[in-house]
Parts: sequence; structure tokens; C-alpha cells
Amino acid sequence: MGSELVPPGLTYLADNIITRQNILGVTKEQGARWARKLKLPRQAETIFFAGCGYQYSAQLEVLMSLVRGIDKSVIGSELPMRFARFQKKLGLNLPGIYSNILSRGGETEVKPLEAAVKVLRNLGIQPGYLAEDEPCCGAPLHHAGLQTKFAENARQAYRTLKSSGVKRVIGIVPYCTHALWKLFPLYVDSYDLEVRHFLEIVAEKISSFKLRFPRKVRVTYHDPCQLVRFMSLIEEPRRILRAIEGIELVETDWTKGEWATCCGGGGGFETVFPELSQVLAVNRVSELLETRPDIIVTHCPGCIMQLKDGLRQLKVDGVEVLDLSQVVATAMES
Amino acid sequence: MNKSSDFKSYKKEIMGAAHDDRLRLALSRAVKSFRSNVKNALEKFPHTVALADEVLKIKEKAIPEMEKLTRQAIASIEENHGKGYIAGTAEEALDIISSLVGTKKLIVKGKSMTGEEIGLREHLEAKGNEVYETDLGEFIIQKMGSRPMHILSPSIHVPREDVARLFSKIMGQEIAPDADIADMVAAAREYLRDKFFRADIGISGANVVAAETGTLFIIENEGNIRLSTSAPPVHIALVGMEKLVPTLSDAYKVSEVTWRYANYTVPAYVSLISGPSKTGDIEKVTTYGAHGPREFHVIFLDGGRTRLAKYPRLRQTLYCLRCGACLYECPVFAVTAGHFGDKYFTGIGAVWAAIVNKDLEKAASLAYTCLTCGRCRQRCPVKIDVPEMIIELRKLLAEGEKA
Repeated sequence: MGSELVPPGLTYLADNIITRQNILGVTKEQGARWARKLKLPRQAETIFFAGCGYQYSAQLEVLMSLVRGIDKSVIGSELPMRFARFQKKLGLNLPGIYSNILSRGGETEVKPLEAAVKVLRNLGIQPGYLAEDEPCCGAPLHHAGLQTKFAENARQAYRTLKSSGVKRVIGIVPYCTHALWKLFPLYVDSYDLEVRHFLEIVAEKISSFKLRFPRKVRVTYHDPCQLVRFMSLIEEPRRILRAIEGIELVETDWTKGEWATCCGGGGGFETVFPELSQVLAVNRVSELLETRPDIIVTHCPGCIMQLKDGLRQLKVDGVEVLDLSQVVATAMES
Repeated sequence: MNKSSDFKSYKKEIMGAAHDDRLRLALSRAVKSFRSNVKNALEKFPHTVALADEVLKIKEKAIPEMEKLTRQAIASIEENHGKGYIAGTAEEALDIISSLVGTKKLIVKGKSMTGEEIGLREHLEAKGNEVYETDLGEFIIQKMGSRPMHILSPSIHVPREDVARLFSKIMGQEIAPDADIADMVAAAREYLRDKFFRADIGISGANVVAAETGTLFIIENEGNIRLSTSAPPVHIALVGMEKLVPTLSDAYKVSEVTWRYANYTVPAYVSLISGPSKTGDIEKVTTYGAHGPREFHVIFLDGGRTRLAKYPRLRQTLYCLRCGACLYECPVFAVTAGHFGDKYFTGIGAVWAAIVNKDLEKAASLAYTCLTCGRCRQRCPVKIDVPEMIIELRKLLAEGEKA
């Protein structure tokens, strides 16, 4: 059995992680920009782990719309995905395209991270952030079946975190948090980092705050698979949303909580089956729209991208997709 | 992927399915009614959930002992004057069955995934026999020249209008596209009626087998299996070795959990078959072949199952009761049906393709089609951890098997 059985979309992500410590092979500086204004300390025992998904969401969106276009054509996405790898080997970097996107206002997409840090600060937590030095969790390696590479990456990432004096990690991207929390201990000897998800911390402390959303809205919540079925964070987001005045939580009958339907993204599936992944996004959005929401709230960069695309495909106007951290930050301000 | 053309054609197949509106229509109707039925069944019989935990324990114990249980079952069946066989491979199973069947026979067949797995119907037809699928869904599939798209509802992807068109063609009587489903069912009944009584041989599978008595448990609703296994003079059953459990009481528990998660409060029929038909009513002389079959043959198929049982994580595949509930939870299956599959479907089908059929290209295509979203695991009565298995399988595919 050889690694040629791994689809090119996944080997593309894997190569990027191994060579550049992020899924897109972009410079780490690009990823870390969102935090410049926040002046987060580089050295701290408790750090906020931002992860690839949110930090590079603008670039990912462009990549996905590019790949989806090709996947629907007769060419299919396999060759271009392979080609992307060769491009990099030839020194012609796709990342060039990405930095252009950033200069065109792509930074608006990282709002969930900024919001999350503000929320943590309001809750009395002053996390650090490793910026360019933040290691990649390598979760896509695990999902691709490249366990040996994942294990190497996990050990390296652990060393990086330890040498920066980190003791506690607050994760936000579901895949990263799951990797650091549940997978790293399987591969790193005497793993001793305390990993918690942003949601848990917020849910614990939320009751002592008066929260109000600026307008009256119907909100439906989409559970990301990793949070709900792999980390059992089922009640937390609901407790948070119910605590916010002005929000009416409306949920689907059947496809909520541990029965939530996958958005069709995640684990790299969207890079292997770009078009099918879009069909699944449309299906999930259609289910959620049955609750007639004003806002679809979720808590995963992959889900956000998928759900937005689903709405676009269905040509639905007037329904917003927001990250839970944005909703909480807004409710704390008003 | 070294055979990227294989992957491309697979992808084309599933995308074709995903854009097929009729398939989508049939599936969405099915998913909706399944969910409400299973909810109803579990609410009415809430003890099923705890019983399912017990069944998991039974399977965990039985799977490593498959070979021992098979020998025990064969001994029991032979004590009952039936005959038992072990087939190491699919080819061996086909050889055993075709030597029992011969040629130019009329055969009525109940639905069997294991039969599909080894290509039994096609093999018997190639040997010059006339074979009728008697399960309505399977009958539709056979007549369409298609393959099953779900383990319990093989024709789940065919809307009623298509069935009407098909029946009109094969039965020589016009069935309107908007005819009642009951009329279609009646037409099939009439068409198959005399086949049961003229048949030389009836073939079935089994849902579970009790080793201590050699008893096959067969769950059904239509009654076609009752007829197929009792009207013809010979009954041949093909059973995967993973279906064996030690006792009658274990087998009953497995059956109840299977039908409940298959969305039935209770099925119309459960047949318990342990041997050929017999009577001692004339002078207490036991004579075989009263109203039922005179001969009873059970072929237990290994076909890679004992090899699969040696993989600590992937072994869970063999716990599968084939209730089909997971398929209704899979977001990919909801748009592709059995096109996301091989002999078996979705993530479980991927493991099956890799270890049992040793078709790594196919296995990779399926393994990377799984979202690892985990909703199937949520539904599974025996908690088969498909995401965990799929990642393990991808590891085997990507990195090879460590010695």
C-alpha cells in the first residue's frame, strides 16, 4: 500500500503543513496579522490558539471557489491539486495570489478571532498568542491517514509550545482544539498541556454577565461535528445563546445537537470532493432555513465557509452567518 | 492515487447520483419516513437501547470465536439432519452451492447481502438456472438490471413511477404511473405466485444464527422468505460467519435489536429454521421432507471475515447487524445512495472493500468519501465507530501495513 492512495487535495494540505506549518503554505505573518491591534503578549502561560481555519479563511474561500469551479468542469479537481504541488516545488507560489486577496480587505474575515479575544478579556482572561510562532496542529495529516507525519508534527508542536512557556491552551478551531486535546496525548509522551475550548470557558462564566443583542433576532445554531460529536460540547453553545437578551433560539426538530447534519466540509473532504461538498452545504442550509432564522450561528471556520456558500447557492438574502464568538462579543458591547 | 482514472470515474458516478433528482426524491421520502418510524419504534419499546448494549457485548465475544462457533453450528445442523459447510472464499461458496443446485433448476431467492457479496444470483444464472428474486425491492433491482442501493431497501432509489413503468414492461399488463402502490405489490405477488411452488430450490440468507442449536433467524415482512424456504423441496442458506452467536437467547436479542433499529416495532415474520422438514406421525418413523424441504444446507462463508477479525479497530465492521439505520444518517448517502459503496455501503463498505475484497483502489475512494462526521455512530445500535475505523483504514492505505 502506498501513499499514492491519498487523494491529491489532501496531500496538498499535508505538504503545506509540513513545509510551512499551515494548511495553505502561506507565510505565518499573513496568518498573524489579525492580532496586531490587540497587542497580545507573546509570552504567557495561557495562550489563545488561533489555528489555520480562521486565520486563513479569506484565502481558503478563494481557493475553494477556484477548486469548485474546476471540479464542475470536465477537468476535475485532481490534476490542478497535483499541479498546485508542482507549482510550489518550482517556486511559483499560489500564496502570491493569497496575499493579494489580503490586501483587498480579506482581513474582515478574521473577525471571529478578534471577537473571541475581546470576550476572553471581558471574562477576565488575558491570554497570550504566539503569532508567527504558533505551530500547526496538523489535524489534516491525521485525517488523511498520515499518522507518522502527524505524530512527528505533534511532538514538534508540543516542543514549540513548551519552549514558549505555555501551560494552558484555549483553542477555538474545532479541529485544532480536538487535535491538541484528544489526539496529541496519543502521540506525545507525558503530554501535560491543559487544553480547553473557548466555548467551555464562556459557558462557565456567562451567567454573571448581562448580555443583550442590539436587535431582536431569530437565531438557529449549527453544531460543528467535531464540537458536538467528538468533544461533547452540546449544551454550552445553547446556554450561551439563551443567555443573550434579544435572541430567540429556534432549532430544527431532528438535525440538532448530536444529530446535527455535517455541513459537508471538514477533514479535508472539501478539497477531495469540492462539488459534492457544495451539494451537502446546500442541503444543510436548507434544513436550517426551515427554522426561518435571521442569523445562522455556528462555531467553526469550515462550517462558516460552507454555510455561506450554501446560502449563496440558494440565492438567499437576508440571512447572516456569524460565529458564536462574534455574537457574544456584540452582546457584551451593547 | 495511482489509478487516478478509477477515482475519476468513481467521482463521476457519485456526482451523477448527486445530481439525479429522481434519486434525491426517492431518498428524501425514505429518510423522512425512516426517521419517524425508528423514533416511534424506540419510544414504544425503550428497553431496546439497553438491549443493544447487551448485543454489543454478545458480538464482541462472538467475533473472535467465529470459527469455533461455526464448527459448533455445523455439528448442531447435522444433528438435525441438515448439512453444514464452511466456505473459505467466495469462490468456494459458489462451488458448493452450484454443486448442490446443478443446472436447469428453478430457484426462488430471498434477499441476501451475502448473496450479493459473492454474486450468487449471477453465478447460478450463468450455470443455466432460472433465478427469481422474491423480495419486492430485490425483484425490482433484478428486473432493472441494477444493483442494490441499500441493505434493507435495495430499491430505495427507485420512485414509484419508475416501478410502474418497469412492471408494465415485464408483466404484460399496463400499470399506470399514478397507480396505487398496492396495485404494484399485487402485480408482483401474482407474477411470483406459482414460482414458489414450482421451484426446485429455495435460497435464503439469515440475520443471525444460534450455534448451540444451528438455528437460523430470518427477519422479514413480505412472507417471501417463508415461502422460499418452505415450499421448495430443498433449502440452501448462505450465511456470513460473523452472524454466529452462541445461544438461542443471544440470537433472539440480536434479532430484536436488528428489527427495531431497522425501524420496525415488530416485523411480520421471524422464521427460526434448524433443519429439514420432518414427521414421525406414521408409526413413529422419522421421515424427512413433509410439507417443507427435504434437504437443508447451510454454507458458512469466511471470505476474509476471520482475517478482518484480527484488526483490533476494523473488527467492529463485523459487529454490524445490517439494520441499515446508519445509512439514513449519512449526509453523503442521502445524495448518492449505494453509489457511495461497494459490496456494502458507506464507511463500513470501505473497510469491507479493503480487508475482505482487498480492492485498495475502491477502498481508498470510499474511505476518502466518508466525512468522518460521526452521525452514523450516533445511530448505530452496537456503536460502531466509523470515523475511528476510517482514519485507521486511511492510515493503512497511506502508510501501508506495519509488519
